[in-house]
Amino acid sequence: MKSIFHINIIRTPLIALLVIIGTGFMARAQDSRIQLTSLDHLAAKANQTVDVAIDERLIRIAAKVFSDEKTDEKEIKQLLTGLKGIYVKSFEFENDGQYSPADVEVIRAQLRGPGWTRLVNVTSKKEGSVEVYLLMNGEQIGGLAVLAAEDRELTVVNIVGPVDLEKLAKLEGKFGVPDLEIETPKTKKNDDK
Amino acid sequence: MSTNHFKYVVVVLLVFSFATMVQAKGDDFNSVVKLIEQFYNVKHEGIPFLAKAGMGAARTAARIKGGTARQLAEAGSIKLAVFEDQDFNGEFMKFRSTLNAALSGTWLPLVQTLSGATEQSYIFTREANEKYVVLIISIEQREATVLQVTLSPKNFARLLKDPEGTGRAIAEEATIIDQE
Repeated sequence: MKSIFHINIIRTPLIALLVIIGTGFMARAQDSRIQLTSLDHLAAKANQTVDVAIDERLIRIAAKVFSDEKTDEKEIKQLLTGLKGIYVKSFEFENDGQYSPADVEVIRAQLRGPGWTRLVNVTSKKEGSVEVYLLMNGEQIGGLAVLAAEDRELTVVNIVGPVDLEKLAKLEGKFGVPDLEIETPKTKKNDDK
Repeated sequence: MSTNHFKYVVVVLLVFSFATMVQAKGDDFNSVVKLIEQFYNVKHEGIPFLAKAGMGAARTAARIKGGTARQLAEAGSIKLAVFEDQDFNGEFMKFRSTLNAALSGTWLPLVQTLSGATEQSYIFTREANEKYVVLIISIEQREATVLQVTLSPKNFARLLKDPEGTGRAIAEEATIIDQE
């Protein structure tokens, strides 16, 4: 009896803990914020490191400060609607081989998580590889991530919230989002004209 | 302790902690200056000394810009501490995490850049009664600047659109134009 009692005492909180952890994982699975801190060590080797963090609070502030009267600010305001964060980490190196495939793999592993899809028809005019990923929450876009890897440059852009490639293109050069020169089949077609 | 006494203690503690939070917010500029002094074992210079040195440069800059230099920071809102001709040797990654830990909660980090392990710049922001306070910290090999300014919503929008460019313009304005 005593042992069963002990097991129950242990089991009940254990089950509760597992449920909490499980719920946490499920919630996390649909969260489009990717963890970039694993790349922080590269700052010591990089010539230039840029770290932009515009979280939900700053986005709310931004939505307040942009004017509805100026066309460009109105457009930015619309772009920001619904977004929960814009995060950019970019490293420029003097020599090749300063970051390892393992560094990139830590980011890719997160982008292989539930809901994330790599857009294969997206390319960039930039050298090296540019991978674009979308997080789908059912029918809705929950976020976007861009992983741009060149020999001497590594950039990760993570936009949390409803964002599409058109929106991303408009965000390039603003809010610290670098010019990724992303081309979709649609933009390529337009260029051909 | 009776329930009433307990409530009283809780209220006093809440009021006290709120006051401490407000105090901490107001003192963050000085805390950052002290943090740099302690971390790098350096000393900052007072504004009066710099004002004398900056006057000539301010006149020159105003002349170049046609006498009507762009004013980004709200008048009288500038707090500036400058460190000159001193060595900023130290683990910059450790400094970065110490700084972020010290300001987290009250300030929102906007952009942080590191160049060649010797130059660091940080921009933090927070809201303050319809205006926006911006803290810009720049550390190079032999000099550093800590700058706090208040921006109007219009100029804060400019900062958000182009954090690096506008951050640099604010720093230039405060260290050259505002010395007049």
